[in-house]
Amino acid sequence: MRPTVRPRAARGVAGLSLPLFALLTAAAGLPGCATAPDEPRAAVRGEAGVPERDRVLHACRAAATALRTGDYPGAKARLDDALARLGGLILDDAAAARARSLFAAEDTKVFLGEPYERVMAYYYRGILYWRDGEPDNARACFRSGQFNDAGAQDERFSSDYVLLEYLEGLATAKLQGDGTDALARARALAGERFRLPDYSPGANVLIFAEYGYGPRKVAAGRYGEQLRFQVQDSPSRSARLVLHEGRTVVPLPAYDDLGFQATTRGGRVMDHILGRKAVFKAATDAAADVALAGSVIAADQAHRREQRGKDGGGSEAAAVGLGVLGVLGKVVSSATRPEADIRQWDNLPQRLSFAAVRLPPGEHAGRLEFLDREGRVLAARTRPVFLRVAPGDRDTVLFFSELPR
Amino acid sequence: MPLPLRSGLPLLLAAALLGGCATSEGVRNPSGVPVTEMRPDERGFVAGTGIEAQDMVAVTDRMARSILGIPQISRAATPPSVVLEPVVNNTRFPVNKDIFLTRLRTQLNSKAAGQVSFLDRDLMRTLQRERELKRSGQVTASADPNVVEFGGADYFLTGKLDGMSTRTAAGTSDYVLYSFRLTDARTSRIVWEDSAEIKKQGLEDAAYR
Repeated sequence: MRPTVRPRAARGVAGLSLPLFALLTAAAGLPGCATAPDEPRAAVRGEAGVPERDRVLHACRAAATALRTGDYPGAKARLDDALARLGGLILDDAAAARARSLFAAEDTKVFLGEPYERVMAYYYRGILYWRDGEPDNARACFRSGQFNDAGAQDERFSSDYVLLEYLEGLATAKLQGDGTDALARARALAGERFRLPDYSPGANVLIFAEYGYGPRKVAAGRYGEQLRFQVQDSPSRSARLVLHEGRTVVPLPAYDDLGFQATTRGGRVMDHILGRKAVFKAATDAAADVALAGSVIAADQAHRREQRGKDGGGSEAAAVGLGVLGVLGKVVSSATRPEADIRQWDNLPQRLSFAAVRLPPGEHAGRLEFLDREGRVLAARTRPVFLRVAPGDRDTVLFFSELPR
Repeated sequence: MPLPLRSGLPLLLAAALLGGCATSEGVRNPSGVPVTEMRPDERGFVAGTGIEAQDMVAVTDRMARSILGIPQISRAATPPSVVLEPVVNNTRFPVNKDIFLTRLRTQLNSKAAGQVSFLDRDLMRTLQRERELKRSGQVTASADPNVVEFGGADYFLTGKLDGMSTRTAAGTSDYVLYSFRLTDARTSRIVWEDSAEIKKQGLEDAAYR
């Protein structure tokens, strides 16, 4: 009696069985599911609607640009918008919970930036408060900046901005307080690198300068789960303001380096979460590989049995089962999102500088020079400056940036 | 397993997988949260450890009650004139300092019913310019503009915000001391002083730590 040959299961494309074809179709279709409902969008002045989660980022970038182009009201408005978020605590937030979950990337959370970015938002706002004659609010901003740098893994790098400490003391001295403690702390932070000048009670012009491009965030690791920073050291190592045809030279040394600040924070709690996500992604991917390999072997076994006229049903069922597991494993693995958030405030400077001097009220012309490591003038970077010192008690606050925008 | 079921199971599975994608289930408040009107002394759902509206309301309410209870105000034969001096912020929180004194003034004005009067020193330049216009005859005057009628202060009311902040892996803690004082303009004596203190602490979501 001839063995009964069962009709073969219906074949799909390229000879695949219909069940496997259906599963592959589903797997192919799943990536199309990665769309979410429309995100809330925020109206940020001067920009088309930006995702609400990126509102702080856009506000910060625009504020830096506004500050450099002399649009101080615009810079204030944007920084106030950003600080309203940065100053709060985000608790029980759906986006933050999603960012911690396996299947959403970290950048789905509301952008609040890394500590060095938050510090800069406060630093810039402090400059603007001082410019408006509110040194106490400026001091509050410098304190908050320093506070945002607290909690580094290595305590030596916690709240270690020299300039913020120095400015806190200067503001206190200007408010008839005692700024010597803050000055001592600033000097301790500066160590042997440079000597911070004493506070000059008669100084009526405060010069804030910045140069070089700030650190860049990059994603490292197999799945981009590690947040890393790249620092391209700027040739501008220091600066000086030359006034009155060279008769007045105001040194502007680099008191703080954002590259140093970004790279000395140590790990974040979120890094552990992303690390676990990466392990899960790798494990499910490996398990899926094993299941799919088993599926192929079982399918081959079923095929051979059928060719020999035997019932290959058991092997085929195993092939389908392992195939389902394999495809599901692949889907779960590919849906796992361990990527680190590399959204960044990308127009930050590398080095921060400051000087307080006494100048007579009126107009002053001169040039701003940037110097290399050996103290040579980088002539191509030199730019003319024109400043107006206001009469009266209020300090004149000047802001110079090597960055164009 | 019968063939139709064997070939149908993955199809059903695929359909279920794909079908699950066509929904926004699990997304909290996809359309946002309606605007909620709140009392100013109520804690909102947007909160931090800093100085917030409810703190300002609570503090100024308490200070206004306290000032009205002192004999220099409550038993004064004529309502004393008070000048407000800017609050000094010695915390880590940038604040709109004027709002404290503005609310304190409005509270006192509404509750004191004429027991105290405030001198508007913010408008001094405008007032002096107006007086000069009257003196020069450029505008009319209902009284002799050469007589000095600008009021002098009996008391100066001012305040200070001091803070202490801590941040560790366990969270953020902020303590703010709000102190206000009334100083006799003639003797420089502090005739009244009161304070309120608020401490807050919290730990942000792990996604931001």
